[in-house]
Order: sequence, then C-alpha cells, then structure tokens
Amino acid sequence: MRYIPSTKEQQSEMLKDIGVSSFEELLKNIPEKVKLKRKLNIPPVLSEQELEEKIVKIAQKNSNFYQMKPLLGAGAYRHFIPEAQKSLLQREEFWTCYTPYQPELSQGTLQSMFEFQSYISRLTKMDIVIPSIFDGASAAGEAALMSLRLTHKNKIIVSSLIHPHYRETIRTYLAPHDIEIIELPYHDGLVQYDQLEKLLDEDTAAVLVQSPNFFGGIENLTAMAELTHQKKALLIDIIVESMSMGILKSPGDLDVDIIAGSAQSFGMDLNFGGPYNAFLGTKKKYVRQIPGRIAGETKDKEGKRAFVMTFRAREQDIRREKATSNMCTNHNLNVIAADIYLSLMGTEGIYQYSLLNAKKAHYLENQLLKTGKFEKIFNYPYFNEFLIKYNGDIKNINKVLMENNFIPPLTVSSFYPDNDLKQTLLFAVTEIFSRDEMNLITSLFSQ
Amino acid sequence: MSSKIIEELYYSKNDEWIKVENDIGTIGITDYAQDQLGDIVYVEEIKKGTNLNKGDVISTVESVKAVSDVYSPISGEIIEVNQDIIDDPSIINKDPFGKGWFAKIKMDKPEELDELMSASEYSEYRKE
Amino acid sequence: MKLIFEKSIPGRDAYSLPTDLFQDIKIEDYLPEKHLDKDKKQLTEVSEVDVIRHFTKLSKFNYGVDDGLYPLGSCTMKYNPRINEKMAAISNFSQAHPFAPIEMVQGSLEIMYELNKLLCEITAMNQYTMAPASGAHGELTGNLIMRQYFIDHGEKRTKMLIPDSAHGTNPASAVMAGFEVIEIKSNENGTVDLNSLKNAMDEQTVGLMLTNPNTVGLYDKGIEDIEKIVHQKGGLLYYDGANLNASLGIIRPGDAGFDVVHLNLHKTFSTPHGGGGPGAGVIGVKDRLIPYLPTPIVDFDSTENKYFLKDIGKKSIGMVRSFWGNFSVLVKTYTWILSLGPEYLYQCSKTSIINANYVLAKLKKYYKPAYDQYCGHECTLTGREYKKYGIKTLQIAKRLMDYGYHPPTIYFPHFEPYAEETIMIEPPESEGKEVLDNFIEVMIKISQEAKDNPDLLKSAPHNTPISQTDDVMAVKRPILTYDDELELKDELNYQGKDIDYY
Repeated sequence: MRYIPSTKEQQSEMLKDIGVSSFEELLKNIPEKVKLKRKLNIPPVLSEQELEEKIVKIAQKNSNFYQMKPLLGAGAYRHFIPEAQKSLLQREEFWTCYTPYQPELSQGTLQSMFEFQSYISRLTKMDIVIPSIFDGASAAGEAALMSLRLTHKNKIIVSSLIHPHYRETIRTYLAPHDIEIIELPYHDGLVQYDQLEKLLDEDTAAVLVQSPNFFGGIENLTAMAELTHQKKALLIDIIVESMSMGILKSPGDLDVDIIAGSAQSFGMDLNFGGPYNAFLGTKKKYVRQIPGRIAGETKDKEGKRAFVMTFRAREQDIRREKATSNMCTNHNLNVIAADIYLSLMGTEGIYQYSLLNAKKAHYLENQLLKTGKFEKIFNYPYFNEFLIKYNGDIKNINKVLMENNFIPPLTVSSFYPDNDLKQTLLFAVTEIFSRDEMNLITSLFSQ
Repeated sequence: MSSKIIEELYYSKNDEWIKVENDIGTIGITDYAQDQLGDIVYVEEIKKGTNLNKGDVISTVESVKAVSDVYSPISGEIIEVNQDIIDDPSIINKDPFGKGWFAKIKMDKPEELDELMSASEYSEYRKE
Repeated sequence: MKLIFEKSIPGRDAYSLPTDLFQDIKIEDYLPEKHLDKDKKQLTEVSEVDVIRHFTKLSKFNYGVDDGLYPLGSCTMKYNPRINEKMAAISNFSQAHPFAPIEMVQGSLEIMYELNKLLCEITAMNQYTMAPASGAHGELTGNLIMRQYFIDHGEKRTKMLIPDSAHGTNPASAVMAGFEVIEIKSNENGTVDLNSLKNAMDEQTVGLMLTNPNTVGLYDKGIEDIEKIVHQKGGLLYYDGANLNASLGIIRPGDAGFDVVHLNLHKTFSTPHGGGGPGAGVIGVKDRLIPYLPTPIVDFDSTENKYFLKDIGKKSIGMVRSFWGNFSVLVKTYTWILSLGPEYLYQCSKTSIINANYVLAKLKKYYKPAYDQYCGHECTLTGREYKKYGIKTLQIAKRLMDYGYHPPTIYFPHFEPYAEETIMIEPPESEGKEVLDNFIEVMIKISQEAKDNPDLLKSAPHNTPISQTDDVMAVKRPILTYDDELELKDELNYQGKDIDYY
C-alpha cells in the first residue's frame, strides 16, 4: 500500500524485537467480546485512477459552478481569489504542519497569524484580534459567552437582522447557561433603535448586532453603542461580509466592544459552507477573557524577534475546566489564506474592491427597479446585498437564471415567515459581475 | 524539600500562608507555590472590603504555563490590598513571604487557624 | 524575518482591478457620509513578487509532515495523500454555494451521505453529524446532545465524569455545555479506576467521557465494566475519538457500548492539520440520540431520487456553525477511506500499533515508560531520570530539533504520580522502519548527551531560525499587532541578524 512503507518482513522483524510472536498479542488488553471479528463492510480498495474517476463522477452531479456566478450571498460570498494566493497555499510547510506549539519550527504560521491580527486590527480598529474561530456563527457564539464572563449578567439582546444561522448558533452556545435571549425587532431594513432603548436594562450583558446586516443594511453602531453603554452592557458587532471593511467606518471607531467577523471573503472558496474562518476583536483590557489562540511578539535567547502563541494560560490544555473556551484546533490555514489575500490586495486594492462591491450592487438594484417588475421595500443604506420585492414567478425566474449560469438570489421568506417578506429576494453582488452580466440579468427579469 | 518555609506562619493545603497580628491576618502564597508556578505574569485585582468565607477565592495568579486560584485560608474582610504585586507580579517570585503578600484580612473566626498547618507540618506535607 | 508591513513601498501593488470601475456610480449618492471612512485602511503596498517571496520564505520556517517524522502523541501526524487534496479542490465542489438550490449540489450531498455510511460502519454508530469543525467543537456538540437527551427525558443531570488523563478540551467542553466536571483518577495501570467510577456515577451524572486507547496510549481493559457502571445508572458514554488510529477494523466504539463518538478527521483520516486546522470533529450517535443532533443532516429521498438537507426537528440542539460542515475536509476523508478499503484500513491500525510498540521496546531502557505494558498506536515514555542531570523533558524535545525531527508531545498526559515529565510518541503507519530506527538512535544518543554534555541540551535547538523564546515577556509586554510594535519600537532593540537572511 503506497501510504504504508513498512513491508511484511519488516513488520515481523519489529514484532520479534518487541518480543511477541504475533500482532494479536499486542491486543491482549482488548476484551474478546468487543473485538471486531470480521472485516469492515466498506467498499474494497480502489486504485488511484479508479478513485479519481469515481469522485469526479460524483462531483459532476453538482452544477458546473466554475461557470456560474452566484447572486446569492447570505453569509458566503464569491470574490475573486488571485492565483498567487492559491499557489502559495500549496506549500506543504503551511498545510502539513501542526499547531505552532514549538515556535522554533513554526515561525511561518506564527508570523502569519501575527500579520493577519495586524491587518484585521487596522481594518476594524480593534486593539486585539483573535485570528481564528471556526466561522462567523461560532465566533458570534464565543463572543456572546465572552460578554457573560466580562459582565456576569444574564440577558442578551440579539438583533433579528443577524444571519438566521448565526442567531441559531448563538442560541445553541447560550442554551446551557440560563440566559434570557431577547430579539430586537427591525424596521425598514435596520434594527429598531427605540426598541433597543426599551429592552436594555441593568441585567443586560450584551447587545449583538450584525452590520452590514442580513439584508445588507448598514446599522447605526454609534447610536447603539451609546445606548448599550448607558446600561453598562457590551456592544458586539458581527461582520459577515468583511469586504465591507474596505470602505465602511471601522467598528473600533464606533465604540463597539467586541467584534466577531467572518473572514471568508478574504480569499476563501465557498466550499459548500466550510471551512471558512472568523476573527474576534476586542479591547486590550479584555485580553484575559478572550477565547482561542493569539500570536504575540517576543524575542528569542539571542534577542532576535520571534513569534509565539501567547496568553496561553486561559486555554483548555492548561486551565482545563476553567478555560475561557474549549478552542483547540481552529482554522489556522485559513488565517494564512487571508493573510496572503490581504497582502495581495494591500491598502488600495481592498479599498477599490470594497468600493466596487458597493457600486455594482447599487447599479444592479437601479437596473432591476427600471424593469418595473421590482418594488423597493426598504429605504436603507446597504453595502453589497439588498432585499427587494419581485412581482413575478420566483420559481420560473430561478430556472431561467440557472439556465444562464447564475445561481439565483436567496428567497428570504423561509427565514422570516412572520413578516411581510413574501416575494422578496436577497441579492448579493460582488466585484465578479460585469456590467454586461448585470444587464443580462436585468433583461432576464424583464422577460 | 528545597523551598523556604517560615516558622511563625500558618499554612494551608493550597499553599497559602497567613501571618497573624492580633485579629489581622496577612495572606500570601508560599515559596513552594511560586516555584511551581514559575514566573508570575499577572495577578487578578483583589477587592478591598470583600467579605470572605474560608476557602473563597481572593485572587488568581497566572504564569506563562499555569493559572492558580488563591484561596483565603480564613474568613473575614479584606482591609488592605498589596497593589505592588498587581503592578509587578514578579515581586511574588522574589519575596513570597515578604513583599509578595496579597492582602490583609480582619479575621471573623480566629479559631479557623487551628485547622491550618504549622511550619513543620507544612514542610512534611510538601516533602518530595 | 521582516513583517510584510516592513516590506511596504508606497506606490507598489499586487492587485488587479476590473477595467470597468463603474465611474458612473457615485457611492456618496447612496451611502450617508457617517458610514464611510474618510481614510483608506492602511494595509501594505507590495508587489505580487514581494508577496510570493515573503510567504515562500515564511513557509520555510515551518516544519511539516512532508519534512520528516512528526511523532506527536495524541495528534496523529500522518501523511496527507495528494489525491485527497486534488479531489477536494474540484471546482464543482469548491465553488458550491451552501445555499444553492439542492438540485445544484447533489454531488456534495452524496459525499456527505456516503461518508456518513462509511463512518457508521467503521465505528458502529447509527448517524453522524458533519457539522463540528474540530475535535473540541465536536465535544461541545456531543455534550449538548447528551444535555438535550436528558432534558427531553425529564431528567436533571449536571455532572460529567472525566478521567484525569483526558485531553484538556474534555473538561473545557463539558463546562461549556453547562456541566460540572468530576475528575476520575487513573489507577496504577494508567486506566480508569473502577471503584472511583462506581462511587462517582449516580443518577445526577450525565456520563463519562473516555478516550480508548486512552491518552497514555493504553487500551482500557475494564471497558466492559465501565460500560456497565455508566449505563446501569442511566448515563451515557462519550468516546473521544481523537485516538482512533489503533482501532480501525479492530475495535469499534459502538460495539463497546459508546453512545456518542467524535472523530478528528484531521488525525486518523489523514486530512491535513493545516498548522492548527481546518479539521473536522464529526459526531456519531446511537439511534436514541439522533433526534438531538444539530440540524440539518443529509438524507436521501428515494421516491424523488435525490439527496436533501433534512431538518432534525424540534428536539435538535440547533445549529453549531454558519453552514453544514467543513465540506472540503469531508471530501478528503471520503477519498482516503475509499483509497484503502477494509484491508488497508486495518493495516493502518496494525502498522501504527506495531510502530508504537517497537519504539517503546527500543527506548524503554533509556526513557522509563509511564506504564510498562504493550500500548496502542502511541507510547508514553518519561524523561524523569534525566532530572538529576539538570535536564528537563522540554530540553530533550528541543534537542531533537537539532537532529531534524519534530519533537513528540511532552508534559501530556500529566497526572501524578504516574505520568510526569512525559514524552508521548506516536509513529503512525506512514512511517517506515528505517525512519523509526533513525529516530530511536537519535533518542538514545540524546539520552547519553544528557549525562555527558547537558549544556548541549540546555542550549538547544542550535540550527533553527530562532531558539528558545521568551514567553514571559510575550505576556508581560504584549505585542499583539504590528501597531503595538511600532509604539514600542524604541525600547525593543532586537539583537542579531534578521532571520530573513539566515
């Protein structure tokens, strides 16, 4: 077998050196009753060629996504990824190594974590950044738990315009902790600020909001922070489309206390939902309550600059049941992916791409409205996603879109059944759409 | 064992010491404890005026590779806190029985001292 | 090495913009000024060539499985086959949107559906959730499932039993699920002390989290008794499958009575570690726990002849992440299992068990084992006897780097008085005999150096880009971003050549 170098002869030699006459002798501590006495009932071995053919065949049962552009975002965005990034990620030293516990053999990963932390800190203006939680939803869950540790209070207010899967994950993470969770209603595509004022009280640990929100709307974070801080609660901002950071004001400048952001837009493939990556950002004074791993700069014995994982005493392998989180393996390779992506984008690139996302989304909305088949339902500022009412047959138009190699936009009514959002579509437009393609889409809707 | 032990103090099983003057007890961690922790990098703020039961956590100390709660070996009210160790935790490593004290407690139940160990008992307890 | 920020030269770029910049749209007409940043966020200004060289150099400061033996106990650093990567990168998979209409993603769903069947057979469980992103995430999910099960059955159980030899994630996960952790002592054989277990297991106890072979690398002889003790009190048995490499085709957790299992696909199932993820920590359960799994799972509709995402229903613990799972990791796992078949899956475990016992047999004279008995796929030695030469186990590990090896896991597991100064070695099936012989020779050599020339160990490693980091300073004077460094620039005064030119 090509993955198992030891030959039969070598194995018998080794068994002899161990001092046993058969392999079975090594298994004597396993009770006979629980030993498997037959072969596993799984398909027989395939050659590499047969294997490849089999799996390619399964892959062909998917649509040919390479040719298809998604009008679908809702937490997973297709952006262009430069080949330089893809190529660098092929380096085995990045992907066949372990968690960087041994700094002497992992400066590559550690420095990349540090660079990514620095990038996110500059994009979001948060003092400290935890580079890797699994994805946006789990990061939001961790952020909520962190707010409980910091405030010792028991009520959490959650915006109803947080991604529905994120809201559900937050609920799952909070379920064991006897926390009152209250949903903050929305109006005209944004949270209802007057309701927030009513819901906030001295027992509130945190207010969780997403901006840009699930409908793409840009929330008024400064106003929310002011209300939240009056009750000594924390404002947690969830960023699902991080590309927005290129042009939007940073949450750190808007007095947000904790951010939980998906980094998927920074160079990660859609991959049917994962693996992505997410970061947490917060203020320096909260460093001892952060979950997960963080890289720090120090020096080695000769005084050279070196990077290590730091503030480790919070972590599960040291503190066990008193750890701030159980985070162990995270998504470090995705951290490197995002570090390379942001390095390639640079100051100007991330600004221009972000700007293009917003411009193109507004262009498409303008065009769609001109067809007369759409109605604007919200009058709100948005980034690259917008919700709009379509007065036509959704099933039919979806079919037409797919035939023309577009993945249809999201029908949100299944997530907001109680509201008057029937016939609404959530469009996501990133830099990958050309003017021609958007004009084509518009004409498809006009037919 | 090689760590230092001071005669006139009382000791707890969690490696705290207490020095008694009238009804005031000064609390710290032992030389053994600081040695086990290694370089202490952080001491959690200790709140003056807190009323403690014996065994309550008064602070948490953190080294690079460990975190340890510091328990009060006695019940009472914290009347004074050593701000110096919070500003520079390495004082605890350098002088655990002296400048590295944590807090002074006005004892409610001095009889609890009887449950603690003497220097020789503690020495036996931590013998390697 | 220089940070990417220090390589920035104003005017350079590495991005390429579409030709049409939509100059006709003025974003200020659409977004109020209060939302837009006046200044551009300062990242860096470098060329594509700079980026390629920077990260190529960075990569060379890492050590991967492809560079040599990586005998990390409890981590299973085995070879990551290339075909796995190629299959996961097929664009039909990698560009699939998680919300795409299900008729567009039948292939992705088939992979998840078929992988579930394979994993169920390998572990004797009834259904897996592919959602958890890592082992610890799986543990949290598993704990929440058990919590929900008892809530649904009207039972109030609050305690979780965890052996002192367990991974740190076990107690941390149990606490996140709202349980109180009760530590169960290991006995002189390194396995669960049955009397302690019996005393602790009551009707307020959720159950026991166990690794088998345990973290010392030993099969728990008492597994049948353990199962009885926990189940007789109505509890559930949780299997920490971080250590499955000794079990393939040999012992199945489901047959041994486990109710919940998590598998680290980035360990036993050969998907790469990625320098700390992404992996996957899928959770398998017995029938009675299926209603509590995170929603959704993949099912097959035989009348419509298509796969679909099935809502688990009201009893589900809910979602634990943004979407369905770390899908590309699942493709790699599926590929790996099919590339081996039943025959070679068994060979994997057999070979890794022989490897571990071989290393144990050859090294036990030099590094006293925590327990002198046959082990599973990993063995636990100790560096205890070198203490008297002033040598810590950490220094033995660092010295190994001088010989071109990644060190084994050290100081874990740790529980007094049996397992101290531990060196945990896991030589997976992808390591041949001559690799192990070399490693053994080096370990013996180091044991001699510890006696003859301890300074050599104390100053190790000697030819890595950096050596012996100041971890205290990293906490006392935190520099967590480049801007932190800029603030302190004047006092830092780093010595030595920049390792860029090393």
